Amino acid sequence: MKNSQVAITVKNMSKDFIICGDKANTLKEKIIRFGNNNKEVRHILKNINLEIKKGETVALIGVNGSGKSTLLKLLTKIIYPTSGSVKVNGKLVSLLELGAGFHPDFSGRENIYFNASIFGLTKSEIDQRLNDIINFSELQDFIDTPVRTYSSGMYMRLAFSVAINVDADIILIDEILAVGDQKFQEKCMNKMLELKKSGKTMVFVSHSKAAVEFLCDRAVWLNDGKIQKDGPTKKVMEEYIKVCG
Amino acid sequence: MSIFKNLYNYREFLKTSIKKEFRGKYKKSFLGVLWSFLNPLFQLLIYALVFPFILKSNIDNYTVFLIVALFPWNFFNLSVIQSAACIVANGGIIKKVYFPREILPLSTTTSNLINFLITEIIVFTTLFISGVGIGPTIIVLPVIILMQYILQLGISFILSAITVYIRDVEYLINVIMMLAFYLSPIVYSADMIPAKYLPIFKLNPMFHIIKYYREILYYQTMPNIGSVLILFLICILILIIGYLIFKKLEKRFAEEL
Repeated sequence: MKNSQVAITVKNMSKDFIICGDKANTLKEKIIRFGNNNKEVRHILKNINLEIKKGETVALIGVNGSGKSTLLKLLTKIIYPTSGSVKVNGKLVSLLELGAGFHPDFSGRENIYFNASIFGLTKSEIDQRLNDIINFSELQDFIDTPVRTYSSGMYMRLAFSVAINVDADIILIDEILAVGDQKFQEKCMNKMLELKKSGKTMVFVSHSKAAVEFLCDRAVWLNDGKIQKDGPTKKVMEEYIKVCG
Repeated sequence: MSIFKNLYNYREFLKTSIKKEFRGKYKKSFLGVLWSFLNPLFQLLIYALVFPFILKSNIDNYTVFLIVALFPWNFFNLSVIQSAACIVANGGIIKKVYFPREILPLSTTTSNLINFLITEIIVFTTLFISGVGIGPTIIVLPVIILMQYILQLGISFILSAITVYIRDVEYLINVIMMLAFYLSPIVYSADMIPAKYLPIFKLNPMFHIIKYYREILYYQTMPNIGSVLILFLICILILIIGYLIFKKLEKRFAEEL
């Protein structure tokens, strides 16, 4: 079974966004503007082919607007490709935006339950992991206060702690780690290294050269919706820095 | 089969969202969930005052006649109106996390079902107190409730998905529901409809469902089993079509919201 070795397959995949100057949401606007829409199609990702093997840790690098986050959203199935296909093999958890899937009025503890259940965990599974999650986040003193009172660093701690304790096979992380302090960032890096050693597949968006080189064996450089270069981290990074400074 | 497997994997999330939906409605109110019991109770008391004394009707026990049909209608009405908005209202998490989107209309409809089952306690109590009582026909009631739930789930899938693309549906549906209220035999009995218009009324599935409720609980006669079965199949068909529409439209939810 060659296929069971592959975690993510992206084949000839393209994604277009339709940008309207001002979107017609209501019926009235739809009728008035019928056939007269100033639609503009923007090709965000163009013919992407990517295969990520199980246990690989891949960094997505590229300047802002190159399509990194869109690619992650496509992998999580929040959005769907315009053409081509995305196949994911295994349980997937994603950390795309700060506070996604948190309810501001609920306490940290309730949000752990809510957030972990969105990732498909049952109550008893969450019960088992609750202490690990709280300990990792170091938020013991705030765990019973509503999360709307949290700082963005605390949000990230909680979200990250939940995500890494879900026991997913594939972990997608957008550049949210940057809001943590130095100590917590190091802790996250070590935890991710540990996860990597235990055979998890990770896709990681980052602008931090140090983090990418520390963690990833492979880097994919996205430029203007296309894969510019794909290969060992060092090589790709060198070239990327040459071009983008 | 993969539909059910996926939902089963996310059962905890389904449970929490039903709870959130059910409790959240009365959050911050003093009496909380008790309101889902008190609301229909007060409604009943008002009718019990208004109809025998002010708006006299020639139907025996008009209050009972009314509530056996009105409470199922309220269930239908609330569930349809709320589910039309349920995807748009949860835009925040849809844009950020993946989960089976069908959980949202499913939990809205299910929390309304729980609410309805609570109000049925009031209906049964009223049946006893008023002397109408409960007959053996009651055994068909769960079938009718299940049928109504399936129908609502189907409508819920269709409306919640369409509302994402055309926001007017959320408001338009209020008007349509008001019209549908009078097109269903709730305040009047089905045999009061002139024979030549009857075929039009019969196109409305809620016309039949309301009629069944009244036959079972008020007249205590057995509904025609053949027609119940046919309608049941139609409701399942609506659910399947609704689900397929939902699946088709859900792919662009995150972009449209």
